[in-house]
Amino acid sequence: MNNYQLMIKADDKQVVLERILQVARYRGFLISGIHAQVNTGTNIGTIELLVRSERPIELLVDQINKLIDIKEVKVDNSASQQCIA
Amino acid sequence: MATEKKLTGGSLLFNVLEQHGVEHVFGYPGGAIMPIYDALYDSNVEHFLCRHEQGAAFSAVGYARASGKVGVCFATSGPGATNLITGLADALADSIPVVAITGQVATSAMGSDAFQEIDIFGLSLACTKHSFQVTDINDLAKVLHQAFAIALEGRQGPVLVDIPKDIQLAEVNGCLDKLVSLKNKVKLPPANVGSAIALLNQAKQPVLYVGGGVGMANAVDELREFASITGVPSVSTLKGLGAIDPEDENYLGMLGMHGTKAANLAVQQCDLLIAVGARFDDRVTGKLNEFAPNAKVIHFDIDTAEINKRRVADAAILGDLKVNLPALAIPLSIATWQDKCQQMKVDFAWDYNHPGESIFAPAVLKEVSDKMPKNTCVTTDVGQHQMWAAQHMLFDDPSNFLTSGGMGTMGFGVPAAVGAQVSRPTDCIVAVSGDGSFMMNVQELSTIKRFQLPVKIVLIDNAKLGMVRQWQDLFFNGRLSETDLADNPDFVMLANAFDIKAKLISKKSEVSDAIEDMMNHDGPYLLQVKINAQDNVWPLVPPNTANDKMMEST
Ligand SMILES: Cc1ncc(C[n+]2csc(CCOP(=O)(O)OP(=O)(O)O)c2C)c(N)n1
Ligand SMILES: [Mg+2]
Repeated sequence: MNNYQLMIKADDKQVVLERILQVARYRGFLISGIHAQVNTGTNIGTIELLVRSERPIELLVDQINKLIDIKEVKVDNSASQQCIA
Repeated sequence: MATEKKLTGGSLLFNVLEQHGVEHVFGYPGGAIMPIYDALYDSNVEHFLCRHEQGAAFSAVGYARASGKVGVCFATSGPGATNLITGLADALADSIPVVAITGQVATSAMGSDAFQEIDIFGLSLACTKHSFQVTDINDLAKVLHQAFAIALEGRQGPVLVDIPKDIQLAEVNGCLDKLVSLKNKVKLPPANVGSAIALLNQAKQPVLYVGGGVGMANAVDELREFASITGVPSVSTLKGLGAIDPEDENYLGMLGMHGTKAANLAVQQCDLLIAVGARFDDRVTGKLNEFAPNAKVIHFDIDTAEINKRRVADAAILGDLKVNLPALAIPLSIATWQDKCQQMKVDFAWDYNHPGESIFAPAVLKEVSDKMPKNTCVTTDVGQHQMWAAQHMLFDDPSNFLTSGGMGTMGFGVPAAVGAQVSRPTDCIVAVSGDGSFMMNVQELSTIKRFQLPVKIVLIDNAKLGMVRQWQDLFFNGRLSETDLADNPDFVMLANAFDIKAKLISKKSEVSDAIEDMMNHDGPYLLQVKINAQDNVWPLVPPNTANDKMMEST
């Protein structure tokens, strides 16, 4: 199992969080933690997602990126490595 | 110019549909969508009443696939909406642009387990490309525009818009928004053209692996140009059929589980696989780590997530095929390989000799294919008859072969043919169905009757769930379990009950005349073709086996 931390920026739209969680589960990533908040000024949500999987993280990044309301997905390598250790 | 007239949400919906060029919709009314059906009354959009919402969804899919336009379907809340789901899943798996409009209980009742309330918005997450629920009338026009844009943008797919009843009734300014473009479009990394050219130049035995993306990208001409300039031998997926000219001397047919021997052997031997709008589906690759084991891969696609998903690409060419294929079309010197492939094609050509009196389905389908007029659109259901149609019928464009590929949904064929016929009223539409699949959406014969659609149905009748029976015989020690359909209804009488002319044939000697009678008949027609229940689809690559280890008979 590898641990990864994703930093996601998304438009604050209906069910965007549900969509991210659904894609993560369906693509074979278990969710270890989540922190989400919305900047009410910009209506942009920031989601930190901790996931673990046997699969390479690029698979999940590409799929989350395809969701319509997503602005950006980044893998936080420092955090991901810490988790692996 | 802005008009100030007040409209209801329902009328606004039709205005936006018309703005997007929608002329036809498929649907089924009910309580929570009544204001929309009321507005339909005054609109120019023509509505086709189907007899089940699944039929409406598949007709929208067939319409989209046959015409290249967005297919639109309507359903009421609750059971109406859930009945759409299989069709939406099918559209998602095959990347088909469909916009589904569902009625929903009024916003004040939402979340109270109201009559016919189901969280279709929640259900849609796994079976649509995107979905919306409109809770403010002022968002309705924008959301609908976005729905059309999303259905068509990049890799196409189904979009659902759930509209509560009070929003359908609410008054809104008649001002029509401009069509919007999408904000968060996925940005594609630059195409790896340099390395792809190098791979092409190094290759001695390249194969072009053509998928459904070619038709979706409207890039059939560019693909054929690429095939002709490079001379690379080509194979096709089920959904890619028709993209390559089937008469092309370097074309080897379908690959994968029921692919031709020549196609599968060429792919297994190739040193470069050029995947174009294809996604290395498990029915194509067989055992993945033994698929094209010696090949480097160039992967053309529009969807970043398909690159390296099941097979690592040595060069990824992301973006529009219409632009990228011409950029890589360079002449190659691969004459020895071409000769070898052409020889395999001759050595392993189909054999239509079939002993005995009973009808051989591959020969019937080949004859239908030979006799059907140019630009005929063929739909299929799912099972042995589907594979025989894919193997033995020839298509000159992907929009002329509509089959449920990714989802493999029985019940697809007849309603998809309805949609195809509505979109192309003057073209001949043939539905190749099986006796099991046909019964899954048999109610759509009513839609055919109501609109007098001249669809020709070729029903391959083995009185079995044949494909499952074949697997039980081959891989489950012949323990037949729930695959016998000996008590099927009288299909001729059934068709007649819907005013559809029908005929049953069971002997080889009857085939040619029957096909001609069907083709010459003006209206809808059902030809029931009785075949031997033991006939199997060959070749067959057993599950989890490399594609060169196909079975060719028992
Ligand atoms: C909706 C649905 N249910 C079940 C299946 C599984 N399945 C695949 S092929 C098949 C048999 C189809 O029988 P028929 O339509 O008579 O075609 P045949 O194989 O006999 O030509 C079944 C049950 C499916 N593909 N779709
Ligand atoms: Mg059957």
